[in-house]
Amino acid sequence: MTAKLLVVDDEPRTAELTAEVLRRAGYSVDVAGSGTEALERVRAGSPDLMLLDYEMPDMEAPEVLDSLRSGAERIPFPVIILTGARHSPADQVVGIERGATDYIVKGTDRQVMLARVRGVLRERAANFGAVMRGRLHVDATRGEASLGGRPLKLERRPMLMLQVLASRSPEVVLRAELLERVWGSTYMGFEHSVEQAVHQVRRELREPGWIETVRGIGYRLIVQG
Amino acid sequence: MATGSSSRAELAAALHRLRSTLARAKAELDLAGPDGELVDRLRGDLSEALELLGQVESTALRIVPVLVLDDDERLGELTARGLRRLGFDAESAAVMRKLRAGEVVVFDLGLLGDLGPSDRAFLAGSRPIVVTGAADPASRAIAEELGASDYLVKPVEIAVLAAAIQRRVELKL
Repeated sequence: MTAKLLVVDDEPRTAELTAEVLRRAGYSVDVAGSGTEALERVRAGSPDLMLLDYEMPDMEAPEVLDSLRSGAERIPFPVIILTGARHSPADQVVGIERGATDYIVKGTDRQVMLARVRGVLRERAANFGAVMRGRLHVDATRGEASLGGRPLKLERRPMLMLQVLASRSPEVVLRAELLERVWGSTYMGFEHSVEQAVHQVRRELREPGWIETVRGIGYRLIVQG
Repeated sequence: MATGSSSRAELAAALHRLRSTLARAKAELDLAGPDGELVDRLRGDLSEALELLGQVESTALRIVPVLVLDDDERLGELTARGLRRLGFDAESAAVMRKLRAGEVVVFDLGLLGDLGPSDRAFLAGSRPIVVTGAADPASRAIAEELGASDYLVKPVEIAVLAAAIQRRVELKL
């Protein structure tokens, strides 16, 4: 399935150029010329990823992010901020608390930009929708999981981890991938937490065999009859 | 000093406009076809101009370039992304590369086996921040040998890593 991207930039030519690079890379791309227009587009249908210009006359990126997160429709997709302004940590770049996933400085090499877009989309793919694997049912978005109809009591992260493993079953999911998808960008090398979460999930499943440890690599989910 | 900060803001705004213009010109050329000698030359010139602009920005705005070296590419990129969100100009790589001016290196000890003697010497010269999975005396000794400015044991919170980077920059270790 082609990923749908929304490019938001008040400069039409810049927006079109960004969109064209992404189209050539095979994405389906829509363009909005202002923050207000971007919000309207989103209401009509969420993109898989938004590339948002930081500085726009009607509303700056943080405001757009705030609006996306407020109300019933909390931000349901990743946002990459495009900016012409480079920062130092002292500038207190806004975005992180408001849900921006990454930053790309304008003028960045196309290959780098496409790699970051790919990275963010890959992450999104696994955290989406309900998954059924045999008697196991997981819907982390709704906070529901069950095994043969028996509800599993899991905290958010173990549940999300179970979902990632289930959606990729019977493939091995790398530890690093679990970290990225479940723990997000806050920690570097949170191996210990992955182990704890696996332990929690196994205990709650109460049946052996579902989650196999692939030593030194990661984990995989194997459906049990 | 009020004038200082307002002139900094003006400078930042001017650099920002300059970057946006150059970036647009580069994007136009990148997409323009067919390639010809002139287009290639202009593209080269523009890339160079952007690189020079980067140097000006780094000096004027005290931007901190960071290279995250990790044998696990995904994890390295995850860390770099976290640092970018805190305002660092962070990139990740799984092999040693030429450093940008003033670049701070975050080095995962897992990559040690991949380093040749010259890479090792080069790395030691950069006074890296060493990150390791094990808090054993052996890895601490290796970190010291690598001239580490800091030694962090996983899991490392990005904020802690950011603080180590700031220390490394401020002390000009």
